[in-house]
Amino acid sequence: MVGASEEVELNRLENQVDNGGGGVWEYLCLVRKLKVRRSDKVLKHGLSILNDSKKRSKLGGEEWTLYEQVAVAAIDCQCLDVAKDCIKALQKQFPESRRVGRLEGMLLEAKGLWADAEKAYSSLLEDNSLDQVIHKRRISMAKAQGNVSAAIEGLNKYLDIYMADHDAWRELAEIYVSLQLYKQAAFCYEELILSQPTVPLYHLAYADVLYTLGGIENLQIAKKYYAATIDLTGGKNTRALYGICLCTIALGQLIKGRNKEDKESSELHSLAATVLGKDYKYRAPDKVSLLTATLGNLKLS
Amino acid sequence: MNISFAIGVFGILILSHATYSTIQYRSFLKILEEEFSSPPFNVVVELILGLVLCLWAALAVPGKFLSIHPDSEENRIVSLPANLDFMIFNHRGRALPKDVNMKLKC
Repeated sequence: MVGASEEVELNRLENQVDNGGGGVWEYLCLVRKLKVRRSDKVLKHGLSILNDSKKRSKLGGEEWTLYEQVAVAAIDCQCLDVAKDCIKALQKQFPESRRVGRLEGMLLEAKGLWADAEKAYSSLLEDNSLDQVIHKRRISMAKAQGNVSAAIEGLNKYLDIYMADHDAWRELAEIYVSLQLYKQAAFCYEELILSQPTVPLYHLAYADVLYTLGGIENLQIAKKYYAATIDLTGGKNTRALYGICLCTIALGQLIKGRNKEDKESSELHSLAATVLGKDYKYRAPDKVSLLTATLGNLKLS
Repeated sequence: MNISFAIGVFGILILSHATYSTIQYRSFLKILEEEFSSPPFNVVVELILGLVLCLWAALAVPGKFLSIHPDSEENRIVSLPANLDFMIFNHRGRALPKDVNMKLKC
């Protein structure tokens, strides 16, 4: 999870290394810890360390982790020769290693040799059939080939065994959303919220899915989850604030015929609108007029 | 920080002096063959003073306290980690021009 202060630190370090200041190793460690995907920067700066033998020897045992990080970044940036060299160096140091075998499989995937990659992964699985990461690589291979139904099937089988893997639940939810199977996606997000209730972004995604599904009950539940997101982020999440406004308006349109019993919802609506206005005034003052116009139109309609 | 450290040392000294006084008072009572119920009033005042000084030092010396609220400005979660286990490589970045100078030497 990337916290606000960690994001600030990451951006600061990124600016620093891009402009030639030091701190490359701290930047690479922070990227590894936060698990963000900055492959082009990691490749450029990681190579600058690896090509300089003095800096490399200063790292000691950590240089192999750096080799792995740079190999993955190179595969992501499609610089396959760099990746091949890194993997060769790792193989010399750690022969018969499962992690290096995984990297080779990823390289084959990136080259597009799906059958060879599949063979490599199956042979690694023969020695150890409980390796989670290799199962996940096979699923992502199915996804990369465009075979989404096979990916879904593979993920369901994987989740039958490893029910606590929230990365897999998240992946499954995103695949379902891309296929517009919102009810199944809602189920996956419910699992995520159950296992990690303090991450506000899962609440937000769940509320989004419910809002998309529509219907009075779903909209009411979506409003509750948008409110939960605002609570967990200290009121700073713009998307959740918008979510509350839109939910209130959609509910108002659906309940137009009946009596409006809940007066407290209009308080929530106006509070959210006020906070949005203040936030825009602070961060994007030239767009405040757009905001007030949109919200005003929606309220009147 | 140094003055808080000095205050802490001073507080500990006051506590040890109070201990010594109590032990002395008790041996004095043993001579008089009286019951030992509680230390004398000035020792109690000294104890309370020592407590306050040590408390102050314990809070001030270790350093800056970190926030524990999950929704505070520095702790709130801004984005989720990219799902690196499910990373795929045939994205549109493949069509971007590569930097030919990127090579692993030695």
